[in-house]
Amino acid sequence: MTDLIIAILSTIGVIAILIAAIGILRMPDFYLRLSVTVKAATLGSGLLLFSLAIFFPQVSVTTKAVAIGFFLLLTAPVAAHMIGRTAYLIGTTLWKGTVRDDLKGMYDKDSHRLSSSNKDVQAKQAAAGEGPDQAG
Amino acid sequence: MSLSLYIDYVILPILAISLLLVFIRLFKGPTIVDRVIALDLLITIGVSIIAAYSISTQQSTFMDVAMILALIAFLSTIAFSFYLEKKDQDD
Amino acid sequence: MVKQFLMNLLLAFIWVALTGSLYFSNFYLGFLLGFFILWLMNRNEDDQRYFNRVPKIIGFILYFLYELVKANLQVAYDVITPRFFMQPGIVRYPMAARSDFEINMLSTVISLTPGTLIMDISEDRTVLYIHVMYLRDKDQFIRQIKNGFERRLLEIIR
Repeated sequence: MTDLIIAILSTIGVIAILIAAIGILRMPDFYLRLSVTVKAATLGSGLLLFSLAIFFPQVSVTTKAVAIGFFLLLTAPVAAHMIGRTAYLIGTTLWKGTVRDDLKGMYDKDSHRLSSSNKDVQAKQAAAGEGPDQAG
Repeated sequence: MSLSLYIDYVILPILAISLLLVFIRLFKGPTIVDRVIALDLLITIGVSIIAAYSISTQQSTFMDVAMILALIAFLSTIAFSFYLEKKDQDD
Repeated sequence: MVKQFLMNLLLAFIWVALTGSLYFSNFYLGFLLGFFILWLMNRNEDDQRYFNRVPKIIGFILYFLYELVKANLQVAYDVITPRFFMQPGIVRYPMAARSDFEINMLSTVISLTPGTLIMDISEDRTVLYIHVMYLRDKDQFIRQIKNGFERRLLEIIR
């Protein structure tokens, strides 16, 4: 019975990891690769670690497996956020089928600070546009 | 069919195939951020391989290695993104 | 609130010690029994926050797992079939969460459901920028997140 549960759980986990691996190979741009792979791989590893926690009855091993799974679950979104932000800042292009980009022009070029609405950006551009005119 | 045989002949080969597919992306990767996430995914699959292998051999000692690997994957991704952003800011 | 939680933990450990087997499943059974006993004893008290919150947390975890599986199946179908059905886009999402902990939990939950990914948080912490894989309608997507994850999460935390 326990063996059957472990076999089913680990099979689902392995299929999730395989889908993540196919996804990272097939998807057309970086952001789609990131949003396909990080979650599917985390789900797959989590399921495999969970089946390991079922397999070993000792509390020390179970605690360790649950701790690793929790750590993966907690750090994967943070890493994805950091690397996605960096990719946008260094100018990785979006796929040609992208329908909407609200982030365009929102970053300050020098300090990499992000503003929350269009008004701030327009005010800054107006201020920057006036500077050279007066100098010229 | 026992559980250890099932893991040896089904689970581990599928994990190895996914490692190979991710490695192709690591080799091709048009930009450097593609390579960074491919590396991150390789290490995550490595953690899964350790979990499957320790079920198959009934040795729980391998879990320590998995824990360290999970830590290093997170740290390396954060460090790569930090320095790539700093490099862009300096240019 | 904290007092009742600690009492519940103590009852769970007493259950584990009495039954003599320290497994996680046994611990959860003890926790549930302790929760039931505490609920019976505190039925006439004024402070019912703890007893409202624990079922809500369990309900949120179940809802999150349901969304996770649903979105994973959609993404998996798109990865395996040869044509792409996706319409990706980056959406500006004004959030109601204010404190650090609320923003952290909200962005973790949004990032873990496949198809949505946090790109960045604005400097004054009022707006999230979310990368969405299946963007049919922007207003509908914002309403879906607001009524789904954010409302349930803030009900638990606040």
